[in-house]
Amino acid sequence: MAFQEINSKMVQATVAPGQRLFSQRGAMLAYRGEVSFTPNLRGGQGGVMSMIGRRVANEDTPLMTVEGSGTVFFGHGGHHVQVINLSGDTLYVEADRLLAFEGTLEQNTVFLGSQGGVMGMVRGQVSGQGLFTTSLKGHGSVAVMAHGGVFEVPITPQRPVRVDPQAYVAHHGDVRNKLSTALGWRDMVGRGSGEAFQLELSGSGTVFVQASEEKL
Amino acid sequence: MSTVHHDPATLPADDNVNAYTFCVELKGSQWFLQKGKMIAYYGTIDFNGIGHGRLDRLVRTSFHSPLHASDWVVAEGSGKMLLADRAFDVNSYDLEDGNLTIRSGNLLAFQPSLALKQSIVPGFLTLIGTGKFVAASNGPVVFVEPPIRVDPQALVGWADCPSPCHHYDHGYMTGLLGGLRAMTGLGGASGEEHQFEFVGAGTVLLQSSEALMAEQSVGAPPQQAGVPGGGTSGASGGRSGVPGLPGQLGDLQRRFGL
Repeated sequence: MAFQEINSKMVQATVAPGQRLFSQRGAMLAYRGEVSFTPNLRGGQGGVMSMIGRRVANEDTPLMTVEGSGTVFFGHGGHHVQVINLSGDTLYVEADRLLAFEGTLEQNTVFLGSQGGVMGMVRGQVSGQGLFTTSLKGHGSVAVMAHGGVFEVPITPQRPVRVDPQAYVAHHGDVRNKLSTALGWRDMVGRGSGEAFQLELSGSGTVFVQASEEKL
Repeated sequence: MSTVHHDPATLPADDNVNAYTFCVELKGSQWFLQKGKMIAYYGTIDFNGIGHGRLDRLVRTSFHSPLHASDWVVAEGSGKMLLADRAFDVNSYDLEDGNLTIRSGNLLAFQPSLALKQSIVPGFLTLIGTGKFVAASNGPVVFVEPPIRVDPQALVGWADCPSPCHHYDHGYMTGLLGGLRAMTGLGGASGEEHQFEFVGAGTVLLQSSEALMAEQSVGAPPQQAGVPGGGTSGASGGRSGVPGLPGQLGDLQRRFGL
C-alpha cells in the first residue's frame, strides 16, 4: 500500500530503495528524507516505442520518476484524489488524471477502437477520452485525480451501470462498455435533456464517478 | 444533504460554520479583517479603515508597520460576523504565547491580542502573541513536523521553527546526459528542482494543492543596508550585471557550474 490518503486532496506515499513511483510533474507538495525527482523523458514505462505511441495517442502526460527513501506528499490543482488499489486487474484511466502510481504497474496505451470498433471511437470522442486511453495493470496502487469527490459504483453482471460520459473517471475489472444513445427528434431541434449520451458499463468490476461534469 | 438554517442564536461563536465559512462573535471587542473578507453579519458592527482618526493608535500597537495597515479593517461592535474567501477552506488557529509566520494572502482575520509584523521572508507575515486568527487555504491544511522539504507553492506558513532555507535538487542535471538535458532543455524539468527546507523543532503548514492564493501586499521593508529585500544590500548580490545570453540558463547555469 504505497499511498495513504491524508485528506480529500492530498496523498502520502512511501518510497523505499528499489521501489519506484511515477507521478505527474509538479505534483509533489513536500517530502521527507532523501528523494529524487527525475523528469521522465518517455512519459512513463516502456521503451522509446512506448513513448512514441503515447505521443501519437496524446496520452503523454509529463511524468517524473520518484526514487529514494522517504515520504512524499502529492496533490495537484486542488483536485480531489482517489487511491485505487489494483490486485492483478487492469485500470483504464485518462493519462492526465494520473497523479501518481507505483512502478510495479504496467502502463499501456489502449486504442478505444479495439473495444467495439467504430462505436468505441465514437464513445471515446463523446466521453472526452479521445481515441486512446491509458491502462495500468498489475499489483499496486494508483492515485487518480477528479473534479469533486469520487465515488465507486460496483458493476455486477445483473446490474449494468450507466454513467454520464463527462463524470466518468476510471474503471477496472472485467467490464465491457458501450455508449448508449437516447437521441430523439428533441435533441435535433435543440430541446434535448442534455443526457443523450450515456456510458453503459456491464460485466463485473468497479467504475469511479466524479461528482462533477467538469473534465480536468 | 439538506440546507442548514442558522439564526443569530445557532451560529457558532468563533468557530467554523462549514469548511468554507468562519463565524466570529463580537461582544464589544475588536477583530482585524483583511479588506473584503466579511460576507455577512448580525448585530451592530462598525467597519473602519485602520490608521485614521481614533484608530491611529492601532498601527502602533498591533501592526507595527504603517505600510500595509491600509489593507486591513477593524470590525468593532457586538454581533456575529461571517468570514469567507472565494470558497477556499477556512480554518482558525490558536496561538498561545507563540509565533506563526503565514503567507500574506492566506491570512483573513486575527484578534487584536496578536501583533502582526512583516516577516523577513518577503510576502510573509508573522503573528506574535496569544489569540486566535483565521486563515484560508486551497484544500485542507496539513500540519507536518520538520525536517521536511516543501514545494514553495504548497507552503502556507510555519510556527515556532526558524525560517526555511532554499534547497535545490538538480541531481538529474549533472553528468554528461544531465548536462545535455540542462543545455538543450530536452526531456523537460521535473518542476521539483526547488524546495523550501525546514529543520529544527516546530510545525509547518501545508495546503493540499499548488494553487496559490493571491498575494496581499505586506509593504516594502525599509530601504536600508542589511535588510533583506531592502534593495540596498552591500554588494549587489545578484549576477554581476551580465545579461543572460540566449541558450543559457542564466542563474541555473551558474548554479550548476556550467
